[in-house]
Amino acid sequence: MMKRSTLLRIGLPAALAFLLLIAPLWIGGSPYIMHLAITAFYYAILAASWSLLAGYAGQFSFAHMSFMAIGAYAAALYGTYIRITTVATETCREIPFFGRWLVILDPIGISQSSQTNCLDLARQTMPAGSMIIQPSIWWGLLFGVVAGGLFGLLIGALVLRLRSTYLALFTIGFSEILRAVISAEIDITQGQSGLEMAPLFPNGITLFGHSYSASDKIPPYYVMLALFLVIMLILSWVVSSRIGLFIRAIREDQEASAALGVHVVRYKVLVFTITAMMAAAAGVIQGHYIGIITPNILIILQMSLVIAMAVIGGLENIYAAAIGAVILLFGLELLRNSFTIGPVTIDMTTWRLVAFGLVLMITLRFFRNGLISPLIDRVMRRNVARETVALRNAATAAATPTATTAGEGGSDE
Amino acid sequence: MSKQGDMQQELALDVNHLFKNFGGLQVLSDVNFKIRGPELIGLIGPNGAGKTTLTNILDGALKPSGGTVYLNGKRIDTLPPYLVARAGLGRTFQVTRAFRRMTVMENLLVPAMALHATASRREFEEKAREVLDFLTMSHLTNEYGRALSGGQQKLLELGRLLMLDPRIVILDEPFAGVHPRLMEIIYEWIYRVNDEGKAIILISHDMETIFTLSKRLLVLNYGDLIADGDPDVVKDDPLVKAAYLGEDEPAPASPAGPESAKFALPTRQPGQDDSADDEEGRVNA
Amino acid sequence: MANQQIFLLALLWVVFWGAIGSLFTPRIYSRKDLDISRATLGGALVGAALGPIGLIPLWIYTPRFTNRIYAAASIIVLGILILAFARAYPDNLCVSDGGFVASQVTNGIVIGLIYSLMALGLTLIYSILGIVSFAHGEFYMVGGMVVYFMSASTLFGRAGAWVWLLGAAVVTFVIGAIFEILFLRPMGEGKIERPKEYAILVTFGLSFFLQYLVQGLAGANPVKAPRFFDFPVIELPNAEDPYLIKTTAGNLRLFDAVSIPNTRFVSAMISVLLLFALLFFLYRTWTGRGLRAVSEDRQAASVAGINPYRMNTLAFALGGMLAGLSGATLVQVFTWLPQVGIPAAARSFVIIVLGGMGSLPGAFVGGIIVGLVEALGAGCVPDPARAAAYIPAYGMIILTLTLLLKPTGLFGREL
Ligand SMILES: Nc1ncnc2c1ncn2[C@@H]1O[C@H](COP(=O)(O)OP(=O)(O)O)[C@@H](O)[C@H]1O
Ligand SMILES: [Mg+2]
Repeated sequence: MMKRSTLLRIGLPAALAFLLLIAPLWIGGSPYIMHLAITAFYYAILAASWSLLAGYAGQFSFAHMSFMAIGAYAAALYGTYIRITTVATETCREIPFFGRWLVILDPIGISQSSQTNCLDLARQTMPAGSMIIQPSIWWGLLFGVVAGGLFGLLIGALVLRLRSTYLALFTIGFSEILRAVISAEIDITQGQSGLEMAPLFPNGITLFGHSYSASDKIPPYYVMLALFLVIMLILSWVVSSRIGLFIRAIREDQEASAALGVHVVRYKVLVFTITAMMAAAAGVIQGHYIGIITPNILIILQMSLVIAMAVIGGLENIYAAAIGAVILLFGLELLRNSFTIGPVTIDMTTWRLVAFGLVLMITLRFFRNGLISPLIDRVMRRNVARETVALRNAATAAATPTATTAGEGGSDE
Repeated sequence: MSKQGDMQQELALDVNHLFKNFGGLQVLSDVNFKIRGPELIGLIGPNGAGKTTLTNILDGALKPSGGTVYLNGKRIDTLPPYLVARAGLGRTFQVTRAFRRMTVMENLLVPAMALHATASRREFEEKAREVLDFLTMSHLTNEYGRALSGGQQKLLELGRLLMLDPRIVILDEPFAGVHPRLMEIIYEWIYRVNDEGKAIILISHDMETIFTLSKRLLVLNYGDLIADGDPDVVKDDPLVKAAYLGEDEPAPASPAGPESAKFALPTRQPGQDDSADDEEGRVNA
Repeated sequence: MANQQIFLLALLWVVFWGAIGSLFTPRIYSRKDLDISRATLGGALVGAALGPIGLIPLWIYTPRFTNRIYAAASIIVLGILILAFARAYPDNLCVSDGGFVASQVTNGIVIGLIYSLMALGLTLIYSILGIVSFAHGEFYMVGGMVVYFMSASTLFGRAGAWVWLLGAAVVTFVIGAIFEILFLRPMGEGKIERPKEYAILVTFGLSFFLQYLVQGLAGANPVKAPRFFDFPVIELPNAEDPYLIKTTAGNLRLFDAVSIPNTRFVSAMISVLLLFALLFFLYRTWTGRGLRAVSEDRQAASVAGINPYRMNTLAFALGGMLAGLSGATLVQVFTWLPQVGIPAAARSFVIIVLGGMGSLPGAFVGGIIVGLVEALGAGCVPDPARAAAYIPAYGMIILTLTLLLKPTGLFGREL
């Protein structure tokens, strides 16, 4: 009995991960499906990490996409403005960096109006053979994750005292401010036109003896898959560790948890920070994959999608939220094709979202634990009710005088 | 046995000149008492007397407006609740506060793991099973808190305290709305914990249980600690009779003036559930 | 220009000492055993107004924070910022042109009245149901859409603005009532496990649903309703020298300086009418009194024979209708899209938090404050591109400050 559940707990995800790893062997030929898969992983990361924050910790934050955007923008700014040169430019702001120079391009110089920056000027005077290197995007990933984490820490600390509704209002507010700032500070962020981001592998890459170009979908698939798997591993560790235990206790009853020795502040801020970092990582990779980042990733629709995915999958189960995200993404894609009945053309790009909203409301009303997570629970907890009854019968048989009568049937929603 | 002797030596709670007011409302004024060793103390007082407020201050959830609290020589009134809990003071709540969407086992693991930063889950599961055995709830190990009856949720809270293993526990109305059969278990719990060398402050409305269980009685009357001592002596204290006991004991000699009639009225406080009546209603809701 | 830094420095100074004041004052008050409920905001204001010169005596004498202290400190803070701004940007229209300022202020108040109406709906819902409707913006959007489509239709096109408004009111009221009965009533019946979170998510779901439903039905092209009424052409005191009032069909000029577009003026007047109608309803009719009774004491009201479920439905529908009507009047001012509800809803959140959740006067005053701040922000922030882009942010700054300094808002019940 114990063995069976362990098998399910470890074997099932492992099998799934293996399937995803070898999936490109079959579908690798279709860039369209690969693209969908990458996007699905991206949403799955966001939905699963949001489910940790909202479902487990009970912090209904609407700022999750903001942390994603902060990560992506941090990486994009890094990619746009940081260069390494072998000789000093004398025109740009620069600092010595391990025998080379770390150059910060003048932000004003590359606004939309003029495409020249200080480096272009310096290039004319630099000695021949000196190199200008674009530093690796993987440092940008680190940079983005750290930035996301810092903002998560800050926001997490600010909202500590706020309860549900106020928290939701505040985080929506934060998200809107961020969007306004990014749209307005055109000198730095280039506003609505967005920042370009280098491909994940600018010079292509050779995998299993096959060389892929920068625009091939298979390398990004593996990068996003790896990120997804790593984050799911971290999430499942968090959930099963003391952190998961404590944040759920805090969600249930903050005062009672504190009275039992739980450091409420620490765990609330911690979970905000962790999930912000995860969202930021997803944002960085997705930004590099898509190739551009604009303030539109902060529109409410994006956050709505993530919330709806997590809710429909099952808010209180990270796996359910992730699976929900994948299924819904593919579902939405399948519903994309518009069709015509007689004189009316049904524009499915809109109507599928109407259906989505309806499903969201109905799920909330009638399936509080989502559609996927009850299925998981049924497998994982199927013997609990039976066990309860059996144990109680055993206890009654042993004629314990204080055998209890309540808790019949062990309702197992 | 000698070990228990040491513990008795160590255990000391000092409450000095405790004051608390909410805005203009004086809820506690100059409350003083000391606990030495594993005493079993009853705390009574009419509704709104400030018993729960005193508990909240001792446990760190509220800061006193004045005064100090020392536990084994360590000042605890300035500490946040989680540190007070780790310092060795545990409490239950008047309104049951089981973690409803966590299993019974998880409920028990929370305090144990909060207390020991390094230990792993496994180490405590064994202990949790023992606790559940003691509470006759082992068949419910994997049930969710919300699936328990009101009384079982109360037991679960007591179980959590066993896992926290504090030196001193405050039980805020543990008998309110509990089935008589479960009450026996709570009795047993109290004796066991007391035998382990822990002090217990028992808040209750039920005079009978208080007089059976406690060896010392504190009486709180609208902020004033009007009596402290042997229950049988306190019972006959004229002040106490006038303020409180008069309503419960149909004793004829009670000098019930207009003053005491005021206290006999059951006062309902806004914003605070009186668990006794609606407790069962919440079960399995 | 070095001058410009004066304003930045003043801002930094105010924020810095405000933060110090808000952080330490509550601690000092609580150590001295005093009421700390007003210490955060009071400390922040005194710190921002007077810096260390104010904070040190404050911490020594720890006076009670009266409304007078609040008011004086706020005026000083505003004064500092305005003076610094005037020094930094002497050429800014807000500094050099009094007529422009008067115009912005008037327009701020006018638009603020309309914001108030929408926020009143939200606060009404909160005071009865205890939830914030995250679909409030979509009621606003639907109200506007209904008016547009009625005005563009052959059937109602000539019926006139009052009929259109009635149509918007009916549609939004019905949507609100149906939604409440289907999705929110189970909450009151205790069928929902975590009602607060459920309410957030399910109204959020409604917002999503309505937005795309309208987009599906109406398309995503911007639309705009025609002007409801023309001004009668007036020139006072006379046509040669109209220094008091001058109107054309589409505009109104006061004192030769203040200019108010017809559409805004009409919207604001309709809003004021509706405000009075709402007050009449709440204070003079039985149903309205029932609503207020429920908001004050649910249990007592239901004992008194008021059906609380029906009141919930009524409140939610009525709240949605107020948003709908405010959209219905504004569709002649702004172009309309299925997404217009989002910033409008965000603004309503700001207003009710600022005013105090569930407080009707709070929603009214909050609406006007937010209207003013937006108008002045849009008119005065030096870089025009920035000024426009930051409009949603002004409100959010107010929200953040309120939540940090005085979470109960201006008129909220003190905890
Ligand atoms: N947070 C609070 N704010 C204001 N008054 C409170 C608060 N908590 C308790 N009170 C008041 O303090 C008094 C004592 O309450 P309490 O300690 O709960 O009494 P008891 O537990 O003895 O019945 C009551 O009048 C109650 O209304
Ligand atoms: Mg009490």
